[in-house]
Amino acid sequence: MSLIYRRKANQSKIMDTVYDYFGEMRPFVKRIDKKWLIPLMVFLKTIEWSIYRWYKTPVRRFYGIKGNELIYMITSRCNERCAKCGIWKNPESDTEHLQIAAFIDCLKTLHHNLYQVTLTGGEPLLFMKDVLLIAEEAAVHKVPMIIVTNGVLVTEDFLKRYAELGHILVFSIDTLEKEKWGNFRGKDTYDKVMSNLQLAHKFLGGKLRIQSVYAEETKNDIPKIKELCKQMNIQHVSQPYMDFGGVWHGVKQIYENKNDNIICAARKNICIYPNGDVVKCFDHYRIPLAKESLGNIEKENIIEILCRKRSTEISKIMKTCNFPCKYLSCNVPEIVYE
Amino acid sequence: MNVLIIPCYIKTDWDKNCLNRLLNSIQNQTKKFDRVYVVDDLSPLSYELPFDFVEHIKLKENGGPAKARNVAIEKALELNAKHLFFTDHDVVLDKNWLYEMSTFLERINFEAVGGMTYAYGKTLLDYYHDINGTLNGKWLLPDKKELWYMPSLNFGMKSEIAREFVFDERFPTAAGEDVDLCLRLRSKYKIGFCPTAKVWHDFGYKNFFSGFKHFVNLFKKYKSSSATVYEGHTVLLWDSSEAIYKGNMYESNL
Ligand SMILES: C[S@@+](CC[C@H](N)C(=O)[O-])C[C@H]1O[C@@H](n2cnc3c(N)ncnc32)[C@H](O)[C@@H]1O
Ligand code: SF4
Ligand code: SF4
Repeated sequence: MSLIYRRKANQSKIMDTVYDYFGEMRPFVKRIDKKWLIPLMVFLKTIEWSIYRWYKTPVRRFYGIKGNELIYMITSRCNERCAKCGIWKNPESDTEHLQIAAFIDCLKTLHHNLYQVTLTGGEPLLFMKDVLLIAEEAAVHKVPMIIVTNGVLVTEDFLKRYAELGHILVFSIDTLEKEKWGNFRGKDTYDKVMSNLQLAHKFLGGKLRIQSVYAEETKNDIPKIKELCKQMNIQHVSQPYMDFGGVWHGVKQIYENKNDNIICAARKNICIYPNGDVVKCFDHYRIPLAKESLGNIEKENIIEILCRKRSTEISKIMKTCNFPCKYLSCNVPEIVYE
Repeated sequence: MNVLIIPCYIKTDWDKNCLNRLLNSIQNQTKKFDRVYVVDDLSPLSYELPFDFVEHIKLKENGGPAKARNVAIEKALELNAKHLFFTDHDVVLDKNWLYEMSTFLERINFEAVGGMTYAYGKTLLDYYHDINGTLNGKWLLPDKKELWYMPSLNFGMKSEIAREFVFDERFPTAAGEDVDLCLRLRSKYKIGFCPTAKVWHDFGYKNFFSGFKHFVNLFKKYKSSSATVYEGHTVLLWDSSEAIYKGNMYESNL
């Protein structure tokens, strides 16, 4: 089941090192044509490998292009009980919840390379204070930010500040029918979310968007939601139903209609779980080598985590990875709003 | 028009001799360069160049090799040069180097090219660099059709792309600026590999024992720059690559 993830951070650090060392040495030894030189050459290679791994460089500077999206699942706790989603069934405990300072450090380190930072969950606005700290830091570094929310906890004060910072807010709405809403969300929050939607529109205008899940359960609702977006002059995006631990049903034809040469763009992503564990896509459990997280930003620098040999290997696999999760809005090259 | 650009920072007589050796190998090319720029980056040692085919540009401030190359790139573009080639003062070019590199750029649909680099010395440390491919390009895996990166000591590009991509002058030393350029360039273009364009690089090792400290320092320098570069190019960096050496130089899947 994707997105639901529990493990102790850093379990495999020694194994990572061993894997990395032998991953370097094995192909290198094959290159040595004078066999009597193997011990000496392996010694020299070990020196090179150790320098790359452990030598702390005095200078750290930042160059490059803005090609990455940093996606932070700030919490798996949620105030709603959606049928489409099972994330709320596995809330993190207080001790598992990453200190906000660690995420802010990560954002500061990476900002030169980020074209966007995205907050998702669980419900991000359960941590409204932290969310605003992130939004402020992102604005300082001119990194656009997107929050995906169920819309229940939005307040006027939040919207005012968020609008000043110039970021984007995405409301998740799967139906406009009050009768269906309770079944979909497991809570009777229709009136609250609809009035918050108007409030958000007032403060954010075009920086408000709506996202819907395209499933058997919603396929007749989505045209109406699109129509509402048209009237409000805001953008809409649908993402196909996936296994988030929910009980809805995907629409089969959806993949047949799409051009299946589409390449998963999740390699651009740097995804952080509520406990600070780093993965390259939230569906990493499908890739055997990527099952374990790459590291944890509470304990290590994000750059060191991303430079691991295993990160590169996983990224290589992701280049040709082809599961339906490639259609999720965070895994397409550029999100297409209609 | 083929232009060669050599940034120089001459500290010792050894550097001076290297530069003269390189210029001799340039003079002996079977196909001649139309212009050769030696860009002096305010070297501590003064020297003259007894070669009339060289244009010696002397910078008033030390700005690092990236800046030095960019000064010459600008001049070459003003002259409407077609191809720009780069090497370093401690390199010796094979006599067919320009012929091979320029023919490759004419013939094959790549916007940039790297050649094959061998160690000049004969110590075991040189042997290590040869099999390790320390200063060689890296194949982009899994296809081995193009290069992930090519060091600037054996590098050429079409001038159109130099109008878009120049060296980042914030790199203060000769480490990492070429990786950075290649990664940016690869966001749009491709770098090909020409195994028959050979150069020899002099690491300056006299013997294994006296060269060992230099060997360690070399990788420390590369680590410093790679940490820098890595921070800048996470997506492209995640592409897998394999250093080229004589055992895989002809594995191109072109
Ligand atoms: C998991 S939620 C977290 C943010 C917030 N709680 C919300 O609902 O917007 C992120 C996005 O995933 C969508 N989503 C939930 N379950 C899904 C599923 N099974 N398949 C695809 N998308 C799903 C939500 O509608 C929302 O737009
Ligand atoms: S979809 Fe969002 S609001 Fe609904 S349960 Fe999942 S996390 Fe909560
Ligand atoms: S298709 Fe994309 S999102 Fe899905 S597992 Fe593969 S890389 Fe991850």
